[in-house]
Amino acid sequence: MRHEDLALADLSEIAEAIAARRVTSVAATEACLARIETWQPRTNAFLRLDTDKALAQAKAMDAELAAGIRRGPLHGVPMAHKDMYYRKGELSTGGSAIRRDWRAPVTATVLQKLDAAGVVELGFLNMAEFAAGPTGHNVHHGHCRNPWDDKRVTGGSSSGSGASVAARMVYGALGSDTGGSIRLPASACGVVGMKATYGRVSRAGALARSWSLDHVGPLTRTVRDNARLLSVIAGHDPQDSTTSEKPVPDYETLLDGGASGLRIGLALPADGTASLDAQVGAAVQAAADALGRLGARITLVTLPDFTALYRAAEVIVKCEAASMHRPWLEKTPDAYANQVRTRMEAGFFIPATQYIDALRLRGHFVKEFLATAMDGVDAVVLPAIPFPIPTIEETDVEAKGGPATLSMVGRFTGLTRPFNTLGVPALSVPCGFDSNGAPIGLQLVGRPFDEALLYRIGHAYQGVTEFHRRVPV
Amino acid sequence: MDEKTRTAAGIATGLQGLRYDDKRLGELAAEVAALNDAVRQAAAEWLTFDDDPFTFPSLLEREARK
Repeated sequence: MRHEDLALADLSEIAEAIAARRVTSVAATEACLARIETWQPRTNAFLRLDTDKALAQAKAMDAELAAGIRRGPLHGVPMAHKDMYYRKGELSTGGSAIRRDWRAPVTATVLQKLDAAGVVELGFLNMAEFAAGPTGHNVHHGHCRNPWDDKRVTGGSSSGSGASVAARMVYGALGSDTGGSIRLPASACGVVGMKATYGRVSRAGALARSWSLDHVGPLTRTVRDNARLLSVIAGHDPQDSTTSEKPVPDYETLLDGGASGLRIGLALPADGTASLDAQVGAAVQAAADALGRLGARITLVTLPDFTALYRAAEVIVKCEAASMHRPWLEKTPDAYANQVRTRMEAGFFIPATQYIDALRLRGHFVKEFLATAMDGVDAVVLPAIPFPIPTIEETDVEAKGGPATLSMVGRFTGLTRPFNTLGVPALSVPCGFDSNGAPIGLQLVGRPFDEALLYRIGHAYQGVTEFHRRVPV
Repeated sequence: MDEKTRTAAGIATGLQGLRYDDKRLGELAAEVAALNDAVRQAAAEWLTFDDDPFTFPSLLEREARK
């Protein structure tokens, strides 16, 4: 295969090709580097690229295979990650100016797991400052740009993760999701993103945005790739007391059950936190129709009124962010982008009782969601982003500001943030393109720890659609 | 300066050791009031004495598909 062809292969395909020694890890890495050379100037997806280190790792992976050692299902596969996963002794900016020269004291558990599985690390990716922002803007390191249209946003905060996977610069990437930050860039860039159940993946060694709402997860080109990655990174971690001890399934082996017989609720919100654009609604309806043709029973469901839940989430994020950022907010407030700083400041004024009540409410919100939208269905499908992907200029709060801009940016998370508060799994898969040629994402939501079912539905859907096969040119 | 803004000013300087101008204090007071009202109303509707925030992870495990 030519380098270009290698880079276009899926993560699972390239992993199997490397394992069978039809392709070397070095060749796969060089193919990614060639894509990066072309696409980095157009997307600004990478904050740091370490070519020499990656090629050295790839050579080592090839040598191990030649000696009969295969570390795991990702042996020799090049990836890169949002610049918030700590690697001991190395830079980790969190997309900020404040940590531009900061070196991490520990290595994140998820990176340790990827190392053990044989991943080659190309570098670290652009992100919203301190993982705070749904669009992909970054005043310190430059905005990340959508590979489908470089005037449009990537979604955030895992902006570089979405852009690099979509542009085939990497086979997969880690993102993180506090209010939609995996699913928004997955949707906007036309890739697959999983926010698993709270506690399914360790947060140890990942820069925090909000301890109670942060979720670590993968972005990939296909559902199969995503399932493989989640199987590697999920599981209990003594370093993160919120992780579950539930056994982790081999998600990839559970992909082929199909959608036949499943009961799927279709939620097309008409008002409230996220009014729905017609073409996005049509794409999601078409996706539901496709699942219906695969044998799923589709019923219309109504989401609960998420207004109180959304406010509770804001209280939790603002209080936790204000607490962790306080030393910098006091000493170097101007080192933050205005919109990042101002979104945290209310946390200093919210009474502790309100913060604790917001946490106490989560259980009731979960019970309400399961008793209403999820009642009698196996999963719910809805849009990830309820409107076509806007331009960077239209959503530039820092440069433009104003109520209309703030409103549009605020609406980004209307259909994603609720599932962080609920802690339930949510998967975004590509389901179409809008009239501007930008991707549309279908969000699948399930019961706690039902990631395997979401992957099964998403995989069945990708078996009869081609949206995930399109590559930006 | 209205009552909520004065309260915010007192919290900022008297309790938190922070300084904001009057305009920003007014914005923060309005933002916090809206968030507090929403949570307080939801709490009044839903919460009981025995609601423990630390049971959230176990609730997720209990509500998983059997």
